[in-house]
Amino acid sequence: MKKELRVIFFLACLIVFLALIGCRSDRSSKASKGTGGLKKTYQIAVIPKGTTHEYWKAVEAGAIQAAQELGVEIFWKGPQKEDDRSQQIQVLEDFISRQVDGIVLAPLDDRALVRPVDEARAEGIPVVIIDSNLQGENYLSFIATDNYKGGVMAARRLAEVMGGKGKIFLIRYLEGSASTTFREQGFLDTVTKEYPGLELLVKDQYAGTTTESAYQLTENLLSRYPQVEGIFAPNESSTFGALRALQEAGLAGKIKFVGFDSSAKLIQALKDKELDGLVLQDPVKMGYLGVKTLVDYLQGKPVEKRIDTGVTLATPENMNQPEIKSLLEPDISKYVR
Amino acid sequence: MKITAGYSRLKKLTNLLGPFIGLILVISIFSLMPEVSGRFLRLANLTSVATQSVIVALSALGMTLIIISGGIDLSAASNLALSCVLVAYSINLGLSPLLAALIGLVAGGLIGLANGLLITRLRLVPFIVTLGMMGIARGIAKWVARNQKIDAPLTWLNDLMVRTPHPSWLLLSPGIWLMIFLSIIMAVVLKKTVFGRRVVAIGSNELTARLCGIRTDRIKIIVYTISGLFCGLAGVMEFSRLTVGDPTVAMGLELDIIAAVVIGGGSLSGGEGSISGTLIGVFIMAFLRNGCTMMGWPNYFQEIIIGAIIIIAVALDRLRHRQD
Amino acid sequence: MSETPLLSLKKICKSFGPNLILDRVDFELRSGEVRALIGENGAGKSTLIKILSGAYHPDSGQMFISGFPYRPTGPLDGRRQGIAVIYQELNLAPHLTVEENIYLGQEESRFGFMEKKKKRLKVRELLEFLHHPEIQPGSLVKNLPVGARQVVEIIRALISQAKILVMDEPTSSLSQEDTKRLFEVIHKVKAEGVGVIYVSHFLEEVKEIADSFTVLRDGQVVGSGEMAGVSLEELIEMMIGKKLSELYPHFPHRPGEVVMSCQQVQGKKMTGAISLELREGEILGVAGLIGSGRTEFLRTIFGLDRLKEGLVIISGSLVSRLQPGTAINRGLGFLSEDRQTEGLAARMSLADNLTLGYLKPYVKNGLLNNQRQKQAASDWINRLKIKAQSPEQKIWTLSGGNQQKVALARLLHQQAKVFLLDEPTRGIDVQSKTQIYELIGRLAADNRAVIFVSSYFPELLGIGDRIAVFHRGQLVEIKPAADWTEASLMRAAITGKENNSEKNKKVIGANL
Repeated sequence: MKKELRVIFFLACLIVFLALIGCRSDRSSKASKGTGGLKKTYQIAVIPKGTTHEYWKAVEAGAIQAAQELGVEIFWKGPQKEDDRSQQIQVLEDFISRQVDGIVLAPLDDRALVRPVDEARAEGIPVVIIDSNLQGENYLSFIATDNYKGGVMAARRLAEVMGGKGKIFLIRYLEGSASTTFREQGFLDTVTKEYPGLELLVKDQYAGTTTESAYQLTENLLSRYPQVEGIFAPNESSTFGALRALQEAGLAGKIKFVGFDSSAKLIQALKDKELDGLVLQDPVKMGYLGVKTLVDYLQGKPVEKRIDTGVTLATPENMNQPEIKSLLEPDISKYVR
Repeated sequence: MKITAGYSRLKKLTNLLGPFIGLILVISIFSLMPEVSGRFLRLANLTSVATQSVIVALSALGMTLIIISGGIDLSAASNLALSCVLVAYSINLGLSPLLAALIGLVAGGLIGLANGLLITRLRLVPFIVTLGMMGIARGIAKWVARNQKIDAPLTWLNDLMVRTPHPSWLLLSPGIWLMIFLSIIMAVVLKKTVFGRRVVAIGSNELTARLCGIRTDRIKIIVYTISGLFCGLAGVMEFSRLTVGDPTVAMGLELDIIAAVVIGGGSLSGGEGSISGTLIGVFIMAFLRNGCTMMGWPNYFQEIIIGAIIIIAVALDRLRHRQD
Repeated sequence: MSETPLLSLKKICKSFGPNLILDRVDFELRSGEVRALIGENGAGKSTLIKILSGAYHPDSGQMFISGFPYRPTGPLDGRRQGIAVIYQELNLAPHLTVEENIYLGQEESRFGFMEKKKKRLKVRELLEFLHHPEIQPGSLVKNLPVGARQVVEIIRALISQAKILVMDEPTSSLSQEDTKRLFEVIHKVKAEGVGVIYVSHFLEEVKEIADSFTVLRDGQVVGSGEMAGVSLEELIEMMIGKKLSELYPHFPHRPGEVVMSCQQVQGKKMTGAISLELREGEILGVAGLIGSGRTEFLRTIFGLDRLKEGLVIISGSLVSRLQPGTAINRGLGFLSEDRQTEGLAARMSLADNLTLGYLKPYVKNGLLNNQRQKQAASDWINRLKIKAQSPEQKIWTLSGGNQQKVALARLLHQQAKVFLLDEPTRGIDVQSKTQIYELIGRLAADNRAVIFVSSYFPELLGIGDRIAVFHRGQLVEIKPAADWTEASLMRAAITGKENNSEKNKKVIGANL
């Protein structure tokens, strides 16, 4: 009997609860219609590819900086599982449901994200693409590093420190990731065209998404091709994974090594000359411009369709120059923990 | 105090009510959040959540059957990815979209059949067989896709999972209708057919089932094959949504699928579980994801919440059993 | 001299929900005494043991050890206060050694950092003392025979300095030889001043080992006293509360046509081939020791074990693909000896368990009619007087006897013509037993055939028309029940030799 009563009591609570919701949602929908005349804070969703890489922390810092300067509210939210296309689509859809004023997106896939972006546009939500390319033209602006140029830069640096000849690895990042594919392509094209002395031992091996997987791959490659003299890795996790493998094998500093992106450990390695170069993007600028461009558009200002945030090469020699230093260690502590 | 028939019926009701109340609670909490109230319960958002649930729900229908039979299928998500890749691959070969979808479906069924045969013929534990199959199916998927995603031209297949269906009289996307339709079919199969009762019997006590003349091996093979077909179908839906064949899709999704069944009252030792419970489990997780994203809450938050819900659901389940 | 008893229980009551399991039970045990606790299943013996061990708390009443109040907070506390219980299913870790098992959980509490050598010496000494020097302290428990494992448990109890040893059905899985040795051990233990509570079904053994007895029936003490002053028959009648002659009801029936014939049947797990015939309206008892192949024989003809050789002919036609499904279709019904793990699906409802083998009548257009299924189950509940609240009740909530009736009802429901019953009365209360005897009698009167396997010879003699004896996978002899006695059955089962020489007086024995 007691149990029966409890169930009934529970049901009663539920009904009251639902009734309350009904009232509240009525009121708030009226309220949102009425706010047209008032000064409005824009709500902008920023969707990265993942949330744990330091690179994305820097992007977040830029976005927050812009948000503070421009007085808008941002939501920072990536797919729950890093690099999961399907989940990034979900996140995007959920923000469309939330009816945010604009979305800044770093698409995980140049193709799979096209349709959800179309849907956002259909609902009247402008989308700015950052970092990686998206097929079609149904977006406001594309703000990214010229990744191909970054690859070219890395190839030239590696050739320079190796004297234009020797055996090298190209460690790829992840199948289907557009930005790194461009870097890899830029590197590959430059090596084959400009440096016939460089011989590619490996060019089709993927490091995968984690430091661990990159570490294992490099370890395996090193034992398979002990004659290697130079390595290029196209992003932070693969660079760090490869670096760890070289350090473990006692080869760090002996094998020439050019990486991409920056982190505290990589900066230390650069200082110790275990790295001969790091190609740097400007993720802070990317995040900043992403939000800024969107707000400009919302305020009726004209925006450019393609914005390059530039690439810079950091070497053990130039790493203490202030402008390089700020790229190596962007001061993001002000904005993110 | 005597347990009357009416009392036991009430108890049955509360068994399903538990997860259902959980679902209502999740929905209510988000609807009350001032930031998203009014938007959360918007029809557009509800259909969006429903669309997002289709893939997990379809695989979970098959998984429910397997878990009730006392087994488990860890290869579900890999199976789904393989099907997704095969559909894209087949379309690129110039096959008609319908045929491509069928190939995805059949591939899923074959993986399931292989699971069933290995489990019954070699007398291996389902956990081990499907753990192995998880790697095999994922590997084949990557092999077929040559380690990258496969772009395929857009076809009507890609309209199955849109948020707003093209002939607008459909109201919901074809994927959602398919999910509803198949759920009803599976619920009827489980509750109202001899096959369904036999599956429950096997999960409850396999030896008894054998004693009652049930050909347990045959039933198990059928169960795994059906589940494989559902994964194949989920793969077709995944392709529809992604518009590309992605061999790395749904990594770890098998755990979400299993969690949905468990939240809905399925017991990993077999004999218990229901389709309605599983669907509620799927929706609890989908609404949580959706709500957390709309609130702009960080990912770790929603991971913790979902983890806690799984434990709470199972703990409540135990509590109910102790009261019996 | 009126010494304080080692253990005394005063007016112990315990109920579960509405059921009063123990009703004002008084119990006493002196040091150096072996007291038998006997009673039917369900009489409250195991509840009393659990209260003694501390696993349950009595609702009312008091317990004293050597005159001091004993109120254990749990089994661990009970053990600490000197009561060691050796359960039927032994409580040993199979992957640890004898020695490790003996000292498990009491390493530091009693002996501090006792040296390994010293420990081993102590174990050796005790093994020697108990006449089991062949057990190696270092061997793994899983490699020991059951009898030896029991000795290990007893040593564990001795080492923990238990004052009271409770033994729950210690001989149920022992050979006669091992039983003898166990009794020697008990005598030794007793000489040390330990009090032993000996719980058993096997009354002959009880009579041999115990000094005194306490009989429980329906939760009450119905008799107690010195073993010397009581006969076996008196003990049985105390236990069941009625005259022995009323136990086996008789229904007139006459064997007719041969309904099943087995020719040189040998299954995968059988060591020999067996041929026998079974007639309509006949009850064929099968006797034999555990491992004599009687269970394997039934499982083979029902298709649960693979048939290696031989023919099974039912109603004149050969059964080709022998599987449980085909066997059921041909009218065979099998009752498993292991109700818990095989016979019934504990977490399914009564209705499901009852109808599972034969759902055809409830299917229309491919869909099950649950209502009619429940209705049919209700009918069987009434017909077999199954104590249950509703057809939807889960099986595990029923008592052993009622579970067994459900298992039997399943065979009736699937309209079996030939009933293969493996130990149908094992572990159930005497009332259900009588009902099952009655049911078997009615089946025969209804012209159905029954094979009835049992380890308990009196019931075979009581209800069987013919009795077959198995020994090491072979059929020793088959003849009318009237030509067997308990002693000749036993001899045939143990030696495997036919004998007609002595005709012992038919004694209704006692291991009910």
